[in-house]
This record gives sequence, C-alpha cells and structure tokens, in this order.
Amino acid sequence: MNPRLDYGRLFLNAYVYAVLAFVLVPIAIILPMAFSEPSYLTFPPQGFTLDWFSTYFGDSRWMAATWLSLRVATLTAILTAVIGTMATYAMVRGRRGFGSVFQVLLMGPIVIPHIAIAVSLYMFLSAMGLLGTMFGYVLAHTVLAMPFVVFTVAAALSRVDADLEAAAMSCGASRFTAFHQVTLPLILPNVASGGLFAFIISFDEPVVSFFLAGIRDKTLPRMMFDDIEQNLTPVIPAVAVILTLASVAIIFGTALLRHRAQRMQAIGREA
Amino acid sequence: MSIFAATPPATASGALARLMRSDGRRISSLGSLLLMAPFFLLMGFVFVWPIVNLLAISVLEPQPTFDNYGRVLSNPVYALVLMRTLWIAVLVTGLTLLFSYPVAYAMTRAKGPTLVLITACVLLPFWSSVLVRTAAWAVLLQRNGLVNQGLQWFGLTSEPVRLLYTQGAVVVAMTHVLMPFMILPIYGALRNISPDYMRAAAVLGASRSRAFREVMLPLSLPGVLSGSILVFLTALGFFVTPALLGSPQEMMIATLVSQQIRETLDWPFAAALVGVLTLFVSLIAVIFSKAVRFDRLMGGRE
Amino acid sequence: MKADAPRVASGANITIDGLAKRFGQVTAVDHFSVDIAAGEFLALLGPSGSGKTTVLMSIAGFEFPTEGSIRIGGEDVTYTPANRRNLGMVFQKYTLFPHLSVLDNVAFPLKMRGVSKPERHKRAEAALATVRLAGYGSRMPNQLSGGQQQRVALARAIVYHPRVLLMDEPLSALDKNLREEMQLEIKRLHSELGITVVFVTHDQAEALTMANRVAVLKDGRIQQIGPAPELYERPANLFTAGFIGEMNFLPGRLAAAGKTPSIKLDAGPEWRLPAAALIDTPSPGQSVVATVRPERVSLGSEGAAGAIPVRVQDVVYAGAAVLLIGVADCGTELRARLSGVSEVADLRPGDMAHLVVPPEAVLLYAGAAAA
Repeated sequence: MNPRLDYGRLFLNAYVYAVLAFVLVPIAIILPMAFSEPSYLTFPPQGFTLDWFSTYFGDSRWMAATWLSLRVATLTAILTAVIGTMATYAMVRGRRGFGSVFQVLLMGPIVIPHIAIAVSLYMFLSAMGLLGTMFGYVLAHTVLAMPFVVFTVAAALSRVDADLEAAAMSCGASRFTAFHQVTLPLILPNVASGGLFAFIISFDEPVVSFFLAGIRDKTLPRMMFDDIEQNLTPVIPAVAVILTLASVAIIFGTALLRHRAQRMQAIGREA
Repeated sequence: MSIFAATPPATASGALARLMRSDGRRISSLGSLLLMAPFFLLMGFVFVWPIVNLLAISVLEPQPTFDNYGRVLSNPVYALVLMRTLWIAVLVTGLTLLFSYPVAYAMTRAKGPTLVLITACVLLPFWSSVLVRTAAWAVLLQRNGLVNQGLQWFGLTSEPVRLLYTQGAVVVAMTHVLMPFMILPIYGALRNISPDYMRAAAVLGASRSRAFREVMLPLSLPGVLSGSILVFLTALGFFVTPALLGSPQEMMIATLVSQQIRETLDWPFAAALVGVLTLFVSLIAVIFSKAVRFDRLMGGRE
Repeated sequence: MKADAPRVASGANITIDGLAKRFGQVTAVDHFSVDIAAGEFLALLGPSGSGKTTVLMSIAGFEFPTEGSIRIGGEDVTYTPANRRNLGMVFQKYTLFPHLSVLDNVAFPLKMRGVSKPERHKRAEAALATVRLAGYGSRMPNQLSGGQQQRVALARAIVYHPRVLLMDEPLSALDKNLREEMQLEIKRLHSELGITVVFVTHDQAEALTMANRVAVLKDGRIQQIGPAPELYERPANLFTAGFIGEMNFLPGRLAAAGKTPSIKLDAGPEWRLPAAALIDTPSPGQSVVATVRPERVSLGSEGAAGAIPVRVQDVVYAGAAVLLIGVADCGTELRARLSGVSEVADLRPGDMAHLVVPPEAVLLYAGAAAA
C-alpha cells in the first residue's frame, strides 16, 4: 500500500462510482418491481409474484406488438446488413465517385432528429398507403439503422487486406468468387454484429413507430409508450426484465462475434 | 476518319474495359454503381425525398410564403419553446460531459474486473430500451417514488414534492439516457492516446495533474467535441423523454411538433417547426463535420 | 494444365509493347517495351514511384494500361481480367487466406479450376513438397513463420503450373538471413520449373543475384536493361551508374575527343582515356562526368601520374576492406575501397592522400553530375 494517501485519486474514484450509481440505480430499481404484487409501482417491491409476466404473455395486444416488433426488427436487420454491406464494399473497394454523397447520406439519419424523420415518413407513408404496415416500419427502421451497419462493415473491410482479393483473382477466382470465398468469410462476423445492432435499433425504436402506428398495428415500443403515458402498471418492469435479459444475451453475442472477427482480420493483416 | 485514326482501337477497348470490368484492386464503375444502387434508392426515397417534401410543404402551404416560419419565430409562445429546447439541450450536454469525462478516464485507467464492471455499467443502459429507462425515471420521480421518500427521510421536505412532469425531470432523465453517447467517444479518444505521452510528460517534469492538463486533456478534445455535438443534436430533437416526463405547459420542439400534428392537425406549421429544427441541426453538423467522427460514436473502436 | 503435365513446364514469352499508364496528369509508366524470353528471369528494379509495380500489375491484369499491349505466349491479354490470365503471383505481404488451412490455400487455384477435391489435395501436397513444406498442410497460416508463409504463397502460385510467375517484392517483409535463403529457393524453383519469372524489387543486390536480366526503371521509363554484369560494368547513363552499386562522380570538361579522348577534371588532373570509356559522345569543351567504382580506386604516392589529391575526411573500417572518404579541392567527394588495411593505417582525417584510378576503370558521360 502506498503510505501517502492520494486524495485526488480517492476523490476521482468516489466521483466515478457516484456517476455509475446514477447510471445504474434507475435500472436496478425498476427491474425488481416486475415481481411486486400491488398493481401500482412501489419501491421496495412488496411480496413476490410472476403475475405481471403472465399478464404480458397472456395479453393479445402485448403479444401482437411483440411479434410485430420481432418481425420488423428481423427484416430490418437482414435488409440493412445486405444493402449496407453491398454499398460499403463498393465504396471501400470501388471507385470512390460518390464518396461525399455517401458520407452525407450516412450522417443524415444520425444528425437529423428522429422526430423530423418520423414526421416526414408519416406523411410519405400515408401518401403511399403504407402507414402502420410492416413494410413501412421496415423501410423506416432500415434508414435509421443503416449508418451503424455501414460503419461496422467499413471498419471490418479496412482491416482486411485488399491484396487478399487480388491474390484470389490471380489464382483464377472471379471478382465475385474472390469476395464470396475470401472477403465475406472474414467480415461475416462484423456483418452479423452490424445486423444485430440494426435489430436492436429497430426493436427499441420509439419515435418513428410512435407516428407510423395505426390504432391496431403497434410495435412493442409504442405499446410501452402508451402504457407509461396512461397507467404505468408493473407490466412495464416485466417487459424491462425480458428486454434486459435479451440485451445482455445480445451484448455477449456481439462481443463474441467482434472478438472472433478481429482475431481473424488481425491474422489476415499480418499474413 | 482522322479522328478515329487518332484514337487507337486499344484505347477504346481500354476505356470500355475500365468501365465494365474490374482491374483487380478496384471494382468496375458499373459494378460499384450496381452494388450501391439499393443503398442510394433506399436513402433517396425513404429519407431524402420525404424530408424535402415536408420542407416543401412548410413554404408552399397554405400559400407559397415564409409565413409559417414567421409564426415560429415571432409568436412568443413558440419562440419560448425554441429557447427552452436550446437551453435544455445545452444543459443536458454540459451535465453529460461533467458526468462522462471522469468515467471515460477511469475506463482507460482501469484493468481487469474493474474495467469489466465499469464497461458493463456504461453499456447496459446503452443497450437497454430508452422507454425502460424513461419508465424507471417516471417511477423514481413519482409522487410516492424513491426520490420523494428520500427527501422526506432526510427531512428536506415534509410532504412529497412535484418532481414528475417538470423540466427538471426531463433534464435528469435525458442526461441519463444520453450519457453513453458522451462516454463512448471520449473513451475512444482517450484510449488512443499512448501512455508514453504521459510518461514523457512525467519525465520532462510535469506533475500528474499538470501532465493531464497539458497533454491528456488537449489530446482528448476531439472525443469531447464529438460527444458534445452528438448529445447536443440528439437532445435538440428528443421526443420520448419530454413527452413522457415533461410538463405539457413547458414543451420542447419535438413535443410541440407532435401536438401540432396529432391535435391541431396544422401540417404546414409543424413542417416549419421541423424545418427550423432540421436546418439548425444541419448547420451545426456542417460546421463541425470536419471535427466530429460520427462513425466513432459506437465506442470509438477502430 | 493437366494433372499429368511434365514437372518441367515451359515458360511463356512475354512481349510488352509501348506500355503507358497515366493516372490523370501523372504518368506512372511511359513507352515501356520489353521482350521477355520464355523461361527467363527478369527483374524490374527501381526506386519507389518508378513504375515497376505498375508494369507488374499490368502484366497481372490488376491495372489496365492507358496505351500499349501485353502479349503472353503470343496471346494479347492487355485487357483480359486477372483471373483469366493463368499466371502465378506472389505478393509483397504473404496474402494467405487467413480462414483457410495451408493445404486449402495452396489448393485454392485448383478449386477455382474445378479440380476434384482428392486430386487438388494431392497436387497441393506436391506443391508444398516443392517448397519444402511437406506435412504443413493442416496448419493455419498464422501458425507459420514469415518465411514459411511466403513459401506457402509460392506453392499456391505454382500449384497449377502456370507459365509465368509474377513476384511483387516478395522478400521485402523478411529479415536478411531469411531473404537470402528465399532468394536461393526461388532461383532453384525457377530452374527446376523452367517458368518465366518477372520479379519486382527495389533491392539492387537482390536483382543482380537472382535475375538473368535486370530492367532499371526511373520515372516510368526503362533506363537500362541487360544482364547483371553489363549493368554493373557499363551503366548506360548516370542514373543507372548511381543506382547500381557505389559510384564516384567526377565532374570535368572534355579536353579532346577522338581515339584517345582526354578530360580535364575539376579535381585537378587531366586524364587520357581509352575510346571505350566514352558512353556518350560529347564534343570538346562540354561538361562531362567521369565515373569510377570505389573498389577500383587505389592509394598512390605524391606526384603519381593522374593522381587526385584529396583531404581525408574519414577512414572507415569495414571488415574485408577499408573505406576512405576524401574531398578534392573542388569539393567533390571521392570514396575508395582499399583492401590492404596497412597502407591506410597512418592516415588520419585531415591528412592529404593521393588517389589513382586506372584509365580502363573510367566511364565518361555527357552532362553534369546529379547531386
């Protein structure tokens, strides 16, 4: 032990832990409420029940919203991963003619507030008759998630030596075969983690869904929004528990994917 | 004839080859275009076109004038909303920076289990639903919620204070929700600073706090700027938290837009509000586009 | 290309005619023409930016030239895509596919050519044996050393018996000992397979050791092309003279032309030279540069005919020889590699020395010496 106390460091640590408490406490408090008996939210929780989970799983509106969100998020993840990977590959390995337009379009959904995107899409999709349809949600969420997939894939592609494809082609592979046999296997974990990211963005997207939803076809975030706004029952904590468990699983999943990808690409770069 | 003679056939087929075929390192122009086509179609039709359309309505309806914008800026009620939105965004940015920098710094210094703990604390909210976190604040701040219980226990107040549906609730919850967007870019910038700089500063006679001020802090400023811009821009257009935790008497611009569309059905005016917000945000993004690495916002990993 | 093709495949000849490659305003390669005989080992040597890699990439099909044509084995391949040229290529970095085993890496070209799995594994094993890596097939690339990885890359390039092998600075990532070992390995493979090799390098020693002929490039143009001894003994111009090996440049003026030309050196003496010393044909009075290799310079006594007086700047011990660096009155630096250590034993920086040069060791170029 250092005999001289380092007050600066002590203070810094205390401050950091206080901030972390600020970050964690709200989540740590809401989760146990899912098991509390009263129909209003109190802390500490009283009694123990799984009723709120059965309410959630038994309610056709919650189930419909959950399934809709799952379907939308899955399609969004696939669509974003495919379109994003194609465009990024062309941008990184092609002639960079449209580079600046590409950049601006990617910044767009990050910079432009979601409320603006939501309102403009509301008008656009209602004109197209797609309001409240799954297709409308998927289109909207694909736009919102696109930048994150592109960044993930671009980072991966920049780690894969372009000469690997040249080598494959000198071995007789066509451009497509070279991509398919060499580059794609090396970036696939990143494409998948980008897709997972898109899934989460879609699944947890409240603003655009808020405007696009009709009366029946509500996504899960929209259902939660309405519930919080109107009665705030312990179904919300129950959903929170389920979502948090899913998030933790996905975090581990993506961390694993990223780890694998970087190991592979690191080898690719050295090699 | 002479024109054709001046162009050797090889060059013509060369031009064709360059257009149509890959020359190995680079995909052909045509191939690039085809690969990028879905992206450009999607972003063009589902992002750019609707926004442009909305902005067009703001100046074309009911008559082609800038009257809608005039209303936004001249009506004191709406001007107040704009000022409040700006003020809350600045406040939230300042608070997140104040809370985030030390945490990001601690992350770069931490090792082993401590690092895992801090990272988990930072990432868990990042990956958990905005609605869950907003609901958590609604629970904490409600009339008989934990915060009020605490205030009474400490004897700071004798009866529950109104905390929910106030500006304070919005600021606190937004700070909580947006903190990861500040921590991750700063952490990214700090992590890319070689510890050798700090060692060099120490060898050259700087105390630890001096070395931090003179070396670490300036080098981390790009991350601070990225995080601040990102949080500021997001806060300006934030909808969920103000809609659920804020007071209807003290609206922010996003809630005002929602009200105009869902209750007043005044599309041109709502479009003008969106126009003001979009133009302001784009302006800031353009000004700082050189300094801000938006692609780093997911954790600054390279 | 058949499985039962003879072990010694004959190489193809390559004819490059008037090759030019421009990127916008920048000309990377200009008027590049060369005939490479079947089975020849040609090195493209030049500093970075000389266009040597562009030439190689054009042969490989990774760049399409702006002008000119490339024929391999008589067939025009100028705009043929890389994957249809049937060439073997080894890259600077080993470019082994990290997700495939060594055997699958080597078998990759055969897979692209639709060879059945057992057959391609058999042939890949054989190719691995050729580069002395038999039994390494099941390993992953990252489990091999740099030299082993480059040998795998070599095996992958030759596994389908291509008629031409292209190498883009394949040894530059290896350390010195390994590099020399690999140089011999590649030479052995070349003579064993009879394949035509085009080898890009910036290392002149490497080019001189390995190649039948060396093409020296600068600014996208061939400066000189010829066998190693010719390049070393009789550089065609001042660039080659300076680029290949060590060289002294002595500026002066041509005093007389004819059968026994003579020059007046800025450094003092006037030299009478054999007619063969003239590379260019300057006229009397014109500035010229006389060149001489440091190992041909020796120490003379004061007043020796044609000796150049220099002030000793440094005497550097270099094992087999001693390097003497002196500066003449006119400011020209002169280097001499002297084999006898004893004769310079008492020379100290600041002393005067007299350097003599045999007339037949001198070559004469028109123009002023480049710095």
